[in-house]
Amino acid sequence: MPEKHKISRRDFLKNSAIGSLGMLLAAQGLPLAAQDSIINIVSSGADITSEPTTFRWVDSGDQKAVFWNAFFEKYMEAHDNVTIQYDALPWNEIAQVVPLGVRNGSAHDVFQRPLSVSLAQAVSEGWVAALDDIIPNFDEWKASFPGGVFVEGITGFNGKTYSFPATSNKRYGTHLLYNVEYLAEAGVDPQAGPLSADDFVATAKKITENGAGRYFGFIMGGNQVNRWGAIVREFARIAGAISMNVGNFDLDMSTGEVPYTNPLYLDAIDVLLRLRDDGSVFPGTLSMNAPEARARMPQGAAGMILQGPWNIPIWLRENPDFNFNIAGQPLLDPPNFVPVSVGPGGSNEIHIYAEASDANKQIAGDIFHYLGTFEGQVAWATLVGAADPAIFAEAVAEADMQPLERAALLMFNEQVRVGPSPIVRNPDTAAVNLELRPITPNLAETVQGIYTEQIDDAAAALQDLSDRANAELDRAIAAAVEKGAMVSREDYIFPNWDPHQDYGEDFYAEL
Amino acid sequence: MALAPPLSVSKPRKQTAISLMLRRISQHRWVYLFMLPSLILTALFTLYPIFASFYFSLFQWSGFTSDAYYIGLQNYQEVVPDKQFWNAFEHSFIFMLSSVPIKLSLALGIAILLNDRALRLAPIFRTMFFVPVVTTTAIVGIVMTFIMSPFNGPINTIMLDLGLIARPIDFLGDPKIALFSVVGVEIWKWLGNPMIYWLAALQTIPASLYEAAEVDGANWWRKFAFITLPLLKPFAIVIVLITAVGTLNVFALVQTMTGGGPYFASEVMEVYIYRTAFGAANSMTLPRLGYASAAAAFFGVSVMFLATIQIFAARWANRERAGLAAAETQLGDS
Repeated sequence: MPEKHKISRRDFLKNSAIGSLGMLLAAQGLPLAAQDSIINIVSSGADITSEPTTFRWVDSGDQKAVFWNAFFEKYMEAHDNVTIQYDALPWNEIAQVVPLGVRNGSAHDVFQRPLSVSLAQAVSEGWVAALDDIIPNFDEWKASFPGGVFVEGITGFNGKTYSFPATSNKRYGTHLLYNVEYLAEAGVDPQAGPLSADDFVATAKKITENGAGRYFGFIMGGNQVNRWGAIVREFARIAGAISMNVGNFDLDMSTGEVPYTNPLYLDAIDVLLRLRDDGSVFPGTLSMNAPEARARMPQGAAGMILQGPWNIPIWLRENPDFNFNIAGQPLLDPPNFVPVSVGPGGSNEIHIYAEASDANKQIAGDIFHYLGTFEGQVAWATLVGAADPAIFAEAVAEADMQPLERAALLMFNEQVRVGPSPIVRNPDTAAVNLELRPITPNLAETVQGIYTEQIDDAAAALQDLSDRANAELDRAIAAAVEKGAMVSREDYIFPNWDPHQDYGEDFYAEL
Repeated sequence: MALAPPLSVSKPRKQTAISLMLRRISQHRWVYLFMLPSLILTALFTLYPIFASFYFSLFQWSGFTSDAYYIGLQNYQEVVPDKQFWNAFEHSFIFMLSSVPIKLSLALGIAILLNDRALRLAPIFRTMFFVPVVTTTAIVGIVMTFIMSPFNGPINTIMLDLGLIARPIDFLGDPKIALFSVVGVEIWKWLGNPMIYWLAALQTIPASLYEAAEVDGANWWRKFAFITLPLLKPFAIVIVLITAVGTLNVFALVQTMTGGGPYFASEVMEVYIYRTAFGAANSMTLPRLGYASAAAAFFGVSVMFLATIQIFAARWANRERAGLAAAETQLGDS
C-alpha cells in the first residue's frame, strides 16, 4: 500500500494562490484574437522541395485541430508550392483509415497510430519511418525535450526513434467541472478545499432539489461505456488503489496483482449508486455519449460532471457566457490523496509514413522540428491549452493561456505522476501486448451493469473480473513465451514504485 | 444483334457431362455474356467475402498485420462457450421474432388499404410510408436518440403532458426496454419494404375473383379470408424470409441508438462481431478478425440452417394441404 499523501487546507490554498497568480499573469497576455500570430514559420534546415506537392496529415483532431489549422495555413503561406490536406478524424475512423492506407500504399504522410496498434507492431510491419534521419539536427532536437518523453521500448527500438509524442500525457480525464452558480446556490465552493465523495453526493442532491426538475446534480455520458470505468478507476486510484493499464484492464504494479478486489473499488461504485438512488443523475445519462453530456452542461442541465480538460477550451469558445470552474476529482477517503499515475513517454504520438515521398518526409521533419523548439511549444500551449498540454513546462508558463486552462495544468502538475512501465523494463513485454485479448465484460462494462442493476452482486462481479484479468495476463505471457519472448509475470512487479514520485531511470536501475 | 441459335437436336452419341455443358454454354453464349458482369460482382462482393470469412476464421489474426497464425478450429471452440456470443445470438432472434410479425402484419394492412382503388391519395400515402426506408439509417438512429430522450424528448414530453406516465422513460438507457425501443424504430424505418412487396403480391390477384365473390354475396372479411390470404400464401413465404433476413441486419440502427448497451442489453450479433473484429473501444487491445469471422460464420450457418428448416416446413405444409384438398375432392367425386 503506498504511503498516503494528505492535501492540507494550507497546501490547497497555496496551490490555489499559485493558480490564481498564473491566471492573473495569463490575463495580462496577448488577447486571444491575436493568438494565431504566435506561429512564425522559420527554416529548420530541412530540404523543402520547390516542386508542387500535396502533403497529408491525419490525427484525432479535437483541440489539436485548432493549432494545426492555424499552423498549416501559415506553413502554406511560407511554402506556396506545398498544399497541406489535414484530416481530423475520430479514433474509430483512424483505426480503419490508417491500416487501409498503409496496405494500399496511400497512407497519410503523417498519422497517429490506431489505439489498437502498438509501436512495435507498426515498426515490424514497416508502417513508420525512423525519425533520426528525417528531422534536421535530430540529436540536438531530441535532447531539447525533458527526460522521459523519448523512451526506448515506447517511442523507439534498437536506438532508433519512430514515434514523436507531440503532447504531454500529464493529465487525467475525470476531474470536476462545475456550474459556479448552481454550486453557489447549493452553498458549496470546491475552491475552498477538495470535495469528499460524500460532499459530492450531497451537493448533487442539493442541486437537484434546487433544480426542481429543470436541472440536476450530476451528468455523464453513460452511453460511452469507458466513462464508467474511468470515473471508478480514478476514484479508487487517488484513494490508494494504485494501478497502471495493461491491455483493457489494470494492474497494481507494486504487487503485480489486479486491483479490482480492493474495497476502494466497491466504495467508488457506491458513489455512483448513491447519486442514482438520490435521483441526482440527469435523466437519459445512460443513453447519452460524452460529447452530448458535455454539450448539456453549458445549457444548464446539470451542476457537475467528471470529465477532462478538453472541455475547457470548447466551452470557452462556444459558450463564453457559461460560468464554470474546475477542481480535482472528489476524494473517496479525504484528506488522503494519491497522485494519478500515467505511463512514460507522452501522448498524441505522431509518425511519419515509411513509404511517404522523400520530399514529404522532409516537410514532416520540418514540422516535427518546429514542435521541438521553444517557440513551437509556446505556440502549441497558447492554441491548444490544457486539452493536450505542451511538453515543455517553460512553454506552458510562457504561453498566453486562458486562466482556467492554466489552472488545470497547474492542478495536473500537482496531481499526476509518471508510473512504471513493463515495456521500459523489458521490451519483450511488447510481445505480451500483442497477445492480450480484451476481457469482456471489462471494468467499465461491469460498472455499467451494476449501475443498471443487471448485475446484483458487485463484489462477486469484481472478483470475477479480477480472476479473468489475471488469467488473461497469464495466458498472454505464456503465448508470448511460446513464441520466443523472454518475459514473466515478474516483469510486471515494481516493488519500489512510489506513486508520489515520477518513476524514472533511477527506479528502474534499482530493480 | 445476333440472337442465340435455337437448340439443335443432336444425334444420340456418347458425350461427357462437361462437353454437354460447354456446348450448352456455347449455344447460349450471349445469355452468359450478359450475365457475366452480375456474376463477377456477385463473386467479388458476396461469394469472396463469405469464403474469405470462413478462411480467416481458421487464423489468429488481427486483420491488418502479416502475422496470421493458423489455429484450426480454436476460434470456434472459443466462440461456442462465450456467454457474450450467445447473449447477442439470443438478442438477434428476439429482435427478429418481435419485429417481423408486427412489421409484416402492419405492412399487409397498409398494403390492403392502399390497394383499394377507392383510396384516391394512395400514391401519396405509399410515398409517405416509404420515405423512412430511403432515409440514412445512421441518421435515423441519431435523431431517434433525441426523440426518445427522457429529458425534453418529444415522446416523453407528450406522454407526460397527457398524464400517461408520471416519470420520463429512458427508452434507450433502461436495459429492460432498450432492445424493444430499437425494434420499434426498426419497424417504423423498414415498414415500407414489405408494404411494397405485399402491394406487388396483391396486384397479381385478378379483380374478377373479387367481383365473382361479390356477386355471390361475400362480405369484406370472407373475400379477405378465402381469396386474398390463400392467393398471397406463395408470396408470403418469400416475403417472410426476406424480411426476417433483413431484420438480422440492423447494425447501423443498434450501433447509433444504443451501441449494444446498456451492459449488452441490446447487443445483437452484428454489433458483437464488430466489437470483436475491431477491438474494444478506447482500449489498447488488438482487434480479432479471425475470432469475429468464426462468430460470423457460426451465426451465418445457424441462420441458414434455420431458414432451410423453415423452407422445408413450408413446403411440407403446402404438400399436406394439397394432399388433403385432393383427398377431399376425391371424396366429393365419389
